[in-house]
Amino acid sequence: MSDAVTATMTFHPQPSGGAPRPWAFPAPERGELPNGLTVLRCHRPGQQVVAVEINLDAPLDAEPAGLDGVATIMARALSEGTDKHDAEEFAAELERCGATLDAHADHPGVRVALEVPVSRLPKALGLLADALRAPAFDDGEVERLVRNRLDEIPHELANPARRASMALAKELFPAESRMSRPRQGTEKTVEGIDAAAVRAFYEAHIRPSTATAVVVGDLTGVDLDKALADTLGAWTGGAAAPRPVPPIVADDTGRVVIVDRPGAVQTQLLIGRIGADRHDRVWPAQALGTYCLGGTLTSRLDRVLREEKGYTYGVRSFCQVLRSTAPSPSGGSAGAALLAISGSVATEVTGPALEDLWKVLRTVKEEGLTDTERDVAVQNLVGVAPLKYETAAAVAGTLADQVEQHLPDDFQAQLYARLAEAGTVEATAAVVSAFPADRLVTVLVGDASQIAEPVRQLGIGEVTVVSG
Amino acid sequence: MPMGHTATQQAGSGGLKATEHRLANGLRVVLSEDHLTPVAAICLWYDVGSRHEVKGRTGLAHLFEHLMFQGSAQVTGNGHFELVQGAGGSLNGTTSFERTNYFETMPTHQVELALWLEADRMGSLLTALDEESLENQRDVVKNERRQRYDNVPYGTAFEKLVAMAYPEGHPYHHTPIGSMADLDAASLEDARAFFRTYYAPNNGVLSVVGDIDPEQTLAWIEKYFGSIPSHDGKQPPRDGSLPEVIGEQLREVVEEEVPARALMAAYRLPHDGSREADAADLALTVLGGGESSRLHNRLVRRDRTAVAAGFGLLRLSGAPSLGWLDVKTSGGVEVPAIETAVDEELARFAEEGPTPQEMERAQAQIEREWLDRLATVGGRADELCRFAVLHGDPQLALTAVERVLDITPEEVRAVAAARLRPDNRAVLVYEPVEGAESADDADDTDAEGEAAQ
Repeated sequence: MSDAVTATMTFHPQPSGGAPRPWAFPAPERGELPNGLTVLRCHRPGQQVVAVEINLDAPLDAEPAGLDGVATIMARALSEGTDKHDAEEFAAELERCGATLDAHADHPGVRVALEVPVSRLPKALGLLADALRAPAFDDGEVERLVRNRLDEIPHELANPARRASMALAKELFPAESRMSRPRQGTEKTVEGIDAAAVRAFYEAHIRPSTATAVVVGDLTGVDLDKALADTLGAWTGGAAAPRPVPPIVADDTGRVVIVDRPGAVQTQLLIGRIGADRHDRVWPAQALGTYCLGGTLTSRLDRVLREEKGYTYGVRSFCQVLRSTAPSPSGGSAGAALLAISGSVATEVTGPALEDLWKVLRTVKEEGLTDTERDVAVQNLVGVAPLKYETAAAVAGTLADQVEQHLPDDFQAQLYARLAEAGTVEATAAVVSAFPADRLVTVLVGDASQIAEPVRQLGIGEVTVVSG
Repeated sequence: MPMGHTATQQAGSGGLKATEHRLANGLRVVLSEDHLTPVAAICLWYDVGSRHEVKGRTGLAHLFEHLMFQGSAQVTGNGHFELVQGAGGSLNGTTSFERTNYFETMPTHQVELALWLEADRMGSLLTALDEESLENQRDVVKNERRQRYDNVPYGTAFEKLVAMAYPEGHPYHHTPIGSMADLDAASLEDARAFFRTYYAPNNGVLSVVGDIDPEQTLAWIEKYFGSIPSHDGKQPPRDGSLPEVIGEQLREVVEEEVPARALMAAYRLPHDGSREADAADLALTVLGGGESSRLHNRLVRRDRTAVAAGFGLLRLSGAPSLGWLDVKTSGGVEVPAIETAVDEELARFAEEGPTPQEMERAQAQIEREWLDRLATVGGRADELCRFAVLHGDPQLALTAVERVLDITPEEVRAVAAARLRPDNRAVLVYEPVEGAESADDADDTDAEGEAAQ
């Protein structure tokens, strides 16, 4: 029996913990190859799998009109054959290195990520360089990628979380903004992509002088200069004309869109607007406040929606940078982040769950965050840094994000001090301004016949139903 | 060792060493030092999983895992999460067929806190467990089931395959998430009995890996866990032995609102811990792992009949492992066209075996996956527990890659010939229907072999 068990265990007071050991986010060494390629390198002892991240300055808004998805097809086609190997051989050569190579296109640009055991780094760098320098863009392979992409679209539309994300983008951004449309294109636009369009996009935007390579891992005994000179150093290309960066605008008038899914057992919710990016001074306080609101299952939202009511497996709030550029001398930033709350709740409690969610937002505004929850947020966000950045891939990803967002190389290192300086009042103000109860666009993917009426009664904005 | 070639001198173990200890109450302890970064992982495996569940109570092991986060004698409410996250740590628990694990990764100076927390719930969970926690977590788990399986296209495929590959009454016939009806039926007394039966120091392995002082760590473990009484309440799982092959081709056609036709299949494969299981891993990698595999080249690149085609492996030690084929069709392609091509590829492979190049690629891929697992203290701690609990020796974790590299092409061919046969598979075909009612009554399902807190 339990009483017998507890009676015999000796209890001790909760230990208080020792002195923290110093840790700092690694400082990369920045350099440039003769061809203009920027290189960031970072030695991480013990990390046998080296991570290489390439940033290519090929943003989605550079896609030609009507060809949404061409950046995605180009990114995928980079690894479908080169001047040395056809598509099948290239895949085989990569796997022979024990390597993975992933490429994807997003609003700020195209990212290519290589991971490989350090002993095979030079060989894998050679393959990566071939992919960037001399992709084959064979007609047949591009046609196959286009068909494959068309086959993927119905799978994405069927996924409640992906569907919600597309619907929110469509609501938030004006129709002429690239951000309003699916990153990887629609059936209509993808159908029009061919090898010539892919090559044209490549020739217009892919060149070493606007690219950055980030290399992170245990580089003991690796002659990285030589390996880079022999591989990415052989990549050539001209200078790029500067490209205007359109400002990001969004309509956050409070309203609700239901994407109808008759019979769905859950409602996928995505509630958002846009707000400050990492260039904004409010970022650390916004990160703290957003963590207090919905960073984990002990945050405000899950404390009610999950741990008290059992409405959900988990609801999270987050700030995800969409695209950033350094502020102009006048101080205006052209960047923005998506500020959002996402999760899924049982169909029959959708109304009550949203009511509670809004109640949490209003309570934070009226009563503010507590010092204790602010302290716990700081301790967590700062304290987990050495855990979060154990692997080479995690470090490389953040360094490449900084490059992509036009941030200094020591941004993350400095952020930890700034988080510790942000107080409760600032964190409260930041989260209230990030998630104002009357200026949020709500997307619900679920059974409209069951959820529309309860949601209308909440008064969180006009409710529109669209077909799933 | 014909194809053996390693990316690192230590063949993937990264020079990792581990020491083993046992407390008087039977708790096994594995320690491994690594001072490169100021973090350490604490991982505790209990030798209990969904295979220990009885009819009418599927999902209980996983539901119980959630209850382990609802407080214990000295930890209130969500204290496990609050204290660990407030100390700059991360934590979770997961439940699979064969075990339940709980883990924290902590900054070095907070290792003692995690040990104190794990000991508190191991020794005193029942003083805090109440009806309110159970009712709440029952709802949370039911929403987990909806979110991960019931409300996702093909979400219940794995559950259906498992139910066919392991017959009615077999301990692996159901997946860890359990059924909605059984989740509803679980009572507080069931949870209490489950704890008294399976949660004891002599039914667990604790590993601590990273920036630790082993002597100090062991002293803390003795201090916090040493007084927890052991007991012999544990029931062995029901017998999981089965014939090596199913003996016939099982088949289920599902008509559901899914975006495309799909062909899936489950094959019974050798038990984990055997050379044959490693050979099967290589065979599935050559056939269906990555973008240079035979099935990808045939179906996605050449025939262009599939969007994606691949094989996965679920290693199991107490029953035959499971090889999982997953092909989503392209456009209007019909399933028989895919099935014929898959059968041709499997038959050819069973006859010819892998080429030297395929063998080299598959071994390089598996080696890198292993290096990835070992790149974090949490990954290492989990592997040490896995080999200690399921195979009796944590040191086997340090040589796992070498064993895969030691497999010969003939062994790979042989396991494919013996197991990847039509009479050893359960086939699941999806045929899309137009937006009707939700097709399945949500009564029996899951999809990953693992369910997280």
